[in-house]
Amino acid sequence: MEKVFVCAVAELLPGEALRVETDPAIAVFNANGVFYALADRCTHGAASMADGYIEEDCTVECPIHSAKFCLKTGRALTQPATIDLAKFDIKVEDGNVYVLAPARRAA
Amino acid sequence: MQDKLNIKGLVDARHGKVKPAIYVDEDVYQLELERVFGRSWLFLAHESQIPKSGDFFTTFMGEDPIIVARQKDGSVAAFLNQCRHRGMKLCHADSGNTRTFTCPYHGWAFGLEGGLTSVPLEEEAYRNNLDKSQWGLIQVTRLTTYKGLIFGNWDESAPSLEEYLGDMAWYLDGFIDRREGGTEVVGGVNKWVINCNWKFAAEQFCSDQYHAPYTHGSAIQVLAPTPENKADGKPLGDGQTQRPAWANGLGGVQFSENGHGSAFFFTEKADANVWVGGEVSNYFRETYPEVEARLGRVRALRLAGHNTIFPTLSWLNGTQTLRVWHPKGPNQIEVWVFCIADRAASDEVKEALKQSHARAFGPAGFLEQDDSENWVEVQKVLRGNKAQQTELCMQMGIGFEERRKDGIPGVTNHTFAETAARGFYQRWVDMMTSETWAEIETKTQEYQEEIVRG
Repeated sequence: MEKVFVCAVAELLPGEALRVETDPAIAVFNANGVFYALADRCTHGAASMADGYIEEDCTVECPIHSAKFCLKTGRALTQPATIDLAKFDIKVEDGNVYVLAPARRAA
Repeated sequence: MQDKLNIKGLVDARHGKVKPAIYVDEDVYQLELERVFGRSWLFLAHESQIPKSGDFFTTFMGEDPIIVARQKDGSVAAFLNQCRHRGMKLCHADSGNTRTFTCPYHGWAFGLEGGLTSVPLEEEAYRNNLDKSQWGLIQVTRLTTYKGLIFGNWDESAPSLEEYLGDMAWYLDGFIDRREGGTEVVGGVNKWVINCNWKFAAEQFCSDQYHAPYTHGSAIQVLAPTPENKADGKPLGDGQTQRPAWANGLGGVQFSENGHGSAFFFTEKADANVWVGGEVSNYFRETYPEVEARLGRVRALRLAGHNTIFPTLSWLNGTQTLRVWHPKGPNQIEVWVFCIADRAASDEVKEALKQSHARAFGPAGFLEQDDSENWVEVQKVLRGNKAQQTELCMQMGIGFEERRKDGIPGVTNHTFAETAARGFYQRWVDMMTSETWAEIETKTQEYQEEIVRG
């Protein structure tokens, strides 16, 4: 695992998400001030979960076909998704957000 | 071109005669959808309704459902609200914010810019052979924003919106360009159904000042600022000129051009004169100097009067109602009503405008109900076979058209006239009987030159 810089804490507001160009791409979410990281590509269709809707119950809804995933575990909670999203660990250090990714995307 | 439906036999604007089959005939209606709604500039939305990227508003152009969406770069685009797979209505929400439009039927998904972005089971079902670039949404060919109002047109060869509006822009500016910052929509969109042909509503707002003293007689009676109506000491319109504008003897103007129409009375005070609330009256009085500096005396004083931009966009100054008469077959319309306020007005004034607007021209408004009742009753009569063939009189003020020398533009007449109705139906005939826009414009021009004599 490699520690990849995501952004400064202040740059990712609650309710927002951004996509990190690792391999595979990772979506980092801020849900009520807590950061989570899941695989960015929906396990059902070709959607970016960073474009998804972050809900009050700590889930993210796919922007295309509305499958819901748990932000804490990556678990697929509703149809049409049946396969969980991979989950990654977050580190917050010195006001910066990092994700522990399998590999940085080749430049 | 061939006039298979004998449109020219049904409307004779030069002599002020119309046969009411144009309000009920299904074939006429289908031709209207193609030739009128398929080629006119149609109001889609107000920019203030979709301020942020991903904001959208769904509406209609004729009977075609339309999505209007704010793009990531801040521009606006509009699309037919129809999935390219099996034709399903793509977006079922009235408005909102989204990143994707996903069809509820099989799940095809389209981006804000209309491209097909995701197809379920693409690999298994299409063997990855579907060329998604070929199956984007149908985009509304032309889109133009005029001072906050977004208009669309399907016809590549149509004149620009500015040319299409012509002198009507002068009257429109008097409504949406009164103060720095322009206007915004206050509150939501009121929508309701009226069982009448779209032309009755559009024509009345285009041309008919004449109905007001009689149709709205009961409202005038009970809202007059007389002692017996002043139980709480605060009647509507208190502090305004205490009689209807048509009774002040100052006269007024009706305007007609390119099928559009407008009319108003001259007044001496910055009075809305349409029974608005006291806060609204005060607002118009307080802002008068600023508006006069921007628009001049005539338009700054013009706080009442009716208007239609051909074919289906109408508004009333003062009560601030802007509406679209969406056709739903020859015998029905869906009215979509927006309350328009100056953006620079205070929140209190905007709230007062909203209340004032709803009281007079909301679905239960004291003036609104009088109008729709008439149109519904006319439409009921037109179920009769004989009634559909009766020749109707549209001759008020015929032969008295002029072009004024005082800066009020366009073909004009006295405010009580049917010049704008004749212009509206002449434009309608020109569109219904012409192949090209060049032909339409030539015919309309000829008519307008012919009616202004001397």
